[in-house]
Amino acid sequence: MEGLADKEYEHGFVTDVEQEFIPKGLNEDIIRLISAKKEEPEWMLEFRLEAFRRWQKMPLPKWAHLDIPEIDFQDIIYYAAPKKAEDRPKEIDPELAKTFDKLGIPLHEREALAGVAVDAVFDSVSVTTTFRSALAEKGIIFCSFSEAVKEHPDLVRKYLASVVPVGDNFYAALNSAVFSDGSFVYIPKGVRCPMELSSYFRINAAGTGQFERTLIVADEGSYVSYMEGCTAPMRDENQLHAAVVEIIVEKDAEVKYSTVQNWYPGDKEGKGGIYNFVTKRGICKGSGSHLSWTQVETGSAITWKYPSTILKGDNSSSEFYSVAVTNNYQQADTGTKMIHIGRNTRSRIISKGISAGRSQNSYRGLVKMMPGADNARNFSQCDSLLIGDKCGAHTFPYIENANKTAVVEHEATTSKISEDQLFYCNQRGIGPEEAVGLIVNGYAREVLAKLPMEFAVEAQKLLQVSLEGSVG
Amino acid sequence: MTEVIIVSDGQLVRNIEVQSGQRKDMVLLVYPGVSCDVKLDVRLAGEGAEANIYGAYVCGGEERVKIAVDMHHDLPHCNSRQLFKGIAGGTSKVDFYGKIIVVQDAQRTEAYQENHNLLLSDGAKVDTKPQLEIYADDVKCSHGATIGRLNEEEQFYMRSRGITLEDARVLQMISFIAPVLENIPEDEREAVAAKFEEAVRSI
Repeated sequence: MEGLADKEYEHGFVTDVEQEFIPKGLNEDIIRLISAKKEEPEWMLEFRLEAFRRWQKMPLPKWAHLDIPEIDFQDIIYYAAPKKAEDRPKEIDPELAKTFDKLGIPLHEREALAGVAVDAVFDSVSVTTTFRSALAEKGIIFCSFSEAVKEHPDLVRKYLASVVPVGDNFYAALNSAVFSDGSFVYIPKGVRCPMELSSYFRINAAGTGQFERTLIVADEGSYVSYMEGCTAPMRDENQLHAAVVEIIVEKDAEVKYSTVQNWYPGDKEGKGGIYNFVTKRGICKGSGSHLSWTQVETGSAITWKYPSTILKGDNSSSEFYSVAVTNNYQQADTGTKMIHIGRNTRSRIISKGISAGRSQNSYRGLVKMMPGADNARNFSQCDSLLIGDKCGAHTFPYIENANKTAVVEHEATTSKISEDQLFYCNQRGIGPEEAVGLIVNGYAREVLAKLPMEFAVEAQKLLQVSLEGSVG
Repeated sequence: MTEVIIVSDGQLVRNIEVQSGQRKDMVLLVYPGVSCDVKLDVRLAGEGAEANIYGAYVCGGEERVKIAVDMHHDLPHCNSRQLFKGIAGGTSKVDFYGKIIVVQDAQRTEAYQENHNLLLSDGAKVDTKPQLEIYADDVKCSHGATIGRLNEEEQFYMRSRGITLEDARVLQMISFIAPVLENIPEDEREAVAAKFEEAVRSI
């Protein structure tokens, strides 16, 4: 039992690649420097500077049920890139490739069987994007955000900050000012993306923050499934990750967005770990559009994340499926927002929180029916599972209805794994650890079943690992 | 003994402490025309304490009804139950907030809370914020909240049996509120039920 309890964070290695840094701190010169390094056009720099000026005037958000130590925003390196050799080689640095191998990312197309196109972001730079030509044949654009700025400026300008405005919130403004790289996806009209698109984020360098930006545009009648995974090395210090994800779903299009978030959660005493402060939002712009969020959150010291959907188009629909696990001293405040504007819009929220150790796990959500949302419908189910008597599980839903034909339902429960269930398993020769894993996986099944195959297996293992040492 | 409070205009603040082995039952009634701001703070301050809080509200005009309940489970073995049901019509605005707080050592807690609302008109608005804040693991806690409309199939059923639409709606609303009124002591119940019938007919 004791031995099992000490399973360590397995993605905690550091890759020894020569890195290029810019000085610590944040001011307009740093932003100009980042922009210059990325050889960005003038409009992009202006966008960053405006965001920075707004950010300076914004107060830190304090409303979450989180205990966030003070963050010194001047003590962070905002840009780190694997150093370029004289002429950046076409091949990936073998050290880097090894890192991604360790993470199990099929970076080379030899892994074509996996059928996943990957954009891997290492610290601030997007390292490689696989399967580009295969996708390009269909007219699909899947590239790093920096490339998109250079090669598809019209599309980027049209959609950037159209869902998450520059001044939306503190961390979104910070991201808009200093974002380094990320993925850009454009699916043209009527195209069904033939494979799962995926990006992996990894923080490697010490003292840096990662600020990626993802923009996904699904044009009329198209379909895409996008997956995102993240890891980081084990370090004593806290590192900041503040990303922005924007999704635009046009008429009759469908986007499925899945995340397995496994940033380093800190050690058993709560030392170190990633602060994961993320703004994710999509808009179902056209009628009949559909956006589905699935997330498995097991990592990060502190998570502050609310993937949201604006249901603007008539008959559009959205789903949010989430499993959030916290152990040791982790804190999570996560949930979703469903804003119903269009007629006959539908949303469904299924959230499963699991807290163990001394962690605090909160669900926070908003369901809002605007006056025009005739016949809109929402169903929410938020369950919490407690393992151990030192942790907390909280539910903070906000439900607002201003339309007499709209119907909203919310339901939440909190309980622990029952002695009966454990006894039943033990009696049949299943050890306590394994029994908890089994019960938790069953409890989260409804959500796990929504993950793409490639992620489902990983997610199940993650759940088990994250909870090891939490019973007995 | 169940305490029945007919809420009048303005603020109502009540701090209630329930001691070990005791039980507190309370029914709050808000009739049409009443704009109120109710703040209840219930503390289960002894082992085995129990609190049951019920509320019903009917608004058909320009009322502003605000109800806030904090339910503190400070010690083990306490039970609480809350049921609030209301109807909002006209241009009324209803705000419900209810929080169950279970502290770390309050094991074997059972706490339930429900808030159900009917929205009758386009001008009315209902916001509800049921919250759970739980720091103990051996607990059974749940909350449920809905905002919805009168069921049209039920109306059709009644109308096809010769009941007018207006009567059908009144019947639906009475039966919607009934689970709250059931908790009023028998000798007072009939009078209250009659008042509610009058109330739902008026909106």
